[in-house]
Amino acid sequence: MKTVKSDMSEVLLNVENIAISFGGLVAISDLSFNVYKGEIVSLIGPNGAGKTTAFNIITGFLKPNSGSITYRDKSLTGLAAHQVAKYGVVRTFQKTSVFDGNTVIENIMMGLHLNGRCKVWEVLLGLPRVSIENTRLEERALEILDLVGLSNRASDMASDLAYGELRLLEVAIALAAEPALLLLDEPASGMNPSETASFMKTVSKIRDEGTTILLVEHDMRMVMGISDRVVVLNQGEIIASGTPKEIQNNPKVIHAYLGYGDEDA
Amino acid sequence: MSRWISILWLAFLFSIPLWMIDLYVLHILINTGIFVIAAMSLNLLLGYTGQLSLGHVAFFGIGAYVSALVSLGFDLELTDTYTFVFDAKPVWIAFLSGIIAAGLFGWLIGRVAFKVRGAYFVIVTISFAEVVRLVSLNWIDLTEGPMALNNIQPFTLGIPNLWEMTLYQKIPNYYLVLVVAIVCYILIRRLVHSRIGRAMIGLRENEPLATSVGVNVTHYLVIATVISAAMAGAAGGLYTHYFRIIDPDIFLFIYTVTMVIMVVSGGKGTLAGPIVGGIIFGLLPEILREFAAPEMQWIIYGIAMILIVFFLPDGIVPALKNWWKNHRSKRTDSAEMDAGT
Ligand SMILES: Nc1ncnc2c1ncn2[C@@H]1O[C@H](COP(=O)(O)OP(=O)(O)OP(=O)(O)O)[C@@H](O)[C@H]1O
Ligand SMILES: [Mg+2]
Repeated sequence: MKTVKSDMSEVLLNVENIAISFGGLVAISDLSFNVYKGEIVSLIGPNGAGKTTAFNIITGFLKPNSGSITYRDKSLTGLAAHQVAKYGVVRTFQKTSVFDGNTVIENIMMGLHLNGRCKVWEVLLGLPRVSIENTRLEERALEILDLVGLSNRASDMASDLAYGELRLLEVAIALAAEPALLLLDEPASGMNPSETASFMKTVSKIRDEGTTILLVEHDMRMVMGISDRVVVLNQGEIIASGTPKEIQNNPKVIHAYLGYGDEDA
Repeated sequence: MSRWISILWLAFLFSIPLWMIDLYVLHILINTGIFVIAAMSLNLLLGYTGQLSLGHVAFFGIGAYVSALVSLGFDLELTDTYTFVFDAKPVWIAFLSGIIAAGLFGWLIGRVAFKVRGAYFVIVTISFAEVVRLVSLNWIDLTEGPMALNNIQPFTLGIPNLWEMTLYQKIPNYYLVLVVAIVCYILIRRLVHSRIGRAMIGLRENEPLATSVGVNVTHYLVIATVISAAMAGAAGGLYTHYFRIIDPDIFLFIYTVTMVIMVVSGGKGTLAGPIVGGIIFGLLPEILREFAAPEMQWIIYGIAMILIVFFLPDGIVPALKNWWKNHRSKRTDSAEMDAGT
């Protein structure tokens, strides 16, 4: 296993001055930040701060009113969600989101969509390369299940999984799309402390295998334990950013979380 | 296990003409087979991508009309001085033309309709079928309108000018329908077990998630519509050259409804569902006709439908699969208990 350490010289994702409002509600007023290659960055903030909305904008599920998103010198602004995935930027969803009516391994196979190459006509003709590819994808799916620790559930229905396992399955589906940048939206919510602890190891492992991670999470033990950098969002604006230690001692952050007025923050 | 079941089924289906001497029964089977193909094609769209096309009969009818017209030849007075003459073509070419034409319309409808989804898709497809029906009714120069296209050639088999056989009889027509049905079945099975089919199922199950892993939703919906429409067109072509007469009534809404009932009762999104549903609701009216008054037939038909949908909401095939799974796990449970004591 090769280890990729955070390399602050290469900007992977550049979010610049994004703003969006829904009707009269300003969800994000002006948001800019960078994600460097190989790091784990956490985006935290109280409920309604605009974290999920930021994810939706970065991954093409929402169009910002203004601002730009650049990924490795390529503009993602205005691209459709499936195109963003093609570039290697893949997200998970805050609300549990899997392919319910399918088995666990089928879920991963669906996530492997971009890994497959076979065309419609090749499939219809039943060319040998189609079944070769299918076998390859199946093997890859098993590897991914192994990575997140769900191998023993491969042939069970997704709907039969326990809550903590479902959350792992979601991450596994996203991993199947081979992200260079993985955006996790509260992946540990609903996990018990021991599940969270082992999930933290999994996330570190994913990063060590070369995937940069942008994390939204309310579990502070996880955020502080795993992040290289933390960005704090409040009411659609960044109020602080720095190492976990710096953030923990930042009075603005403490105020935002304890719910004091914004003026003195 | 399931392989043996398929082989037995095929052997049974291929053997029917050998022992079934009642030609009327064969006629019913041919008719049912044509509808089974149409239902299978609808299932690709309704069952696997989850899009309800309530104008599916349009593709069936387009296949039927195009195939008929190409095989008959036609001429169109385009201006006072110029008449476009289209010479009659061999039936096989006509049949393929019908498939291609239906597929092209599928592409068109797919492009237009998937910009608007859900209820709008249903409305676009219904309207499309109605427009096609009105065209076939009113473009009398081309379609003869309500007078119908008559004397359509049946299929021929063999090498032109050397040895040819014209399929007037029931038995060869039965085999023809059976072979086309098997080909459609195999194509659909290949598709749904591939990454293409997984993309379709994925967007049915959870569209945002499918999108987030890179599935281009419109692209796969259009592919599904094109293949589905082409297969419905093939069913229409079989219909044309077997019955040898078609009129605009082929586009009636009730036929789409029949296909939907076949798919839903058999089990949408399963390979065997439309076959089981198609056989039941293809044969039922014929069986009922033997011993029930016309009003009774429709009442029984309706009751059968309601019972199936009410008691087996997922359809017959998924219900049977579940039953079989429970039955088996119960057996292994008791076997383990026996071993334990
Ligand atoms: N599609 C939408 N339409 C209208 N309002 C929206 C929409 N999406 C988000 N919002 C609003 O934007 C604000 C930011 O929401 P967002 O979901 O991004 O918060 P969050 O930081 O993810 O919060 P949480 O921690 O609760 O998940 C909220 O006030 C929310 O109600
Ligand atoms: Mg959120």
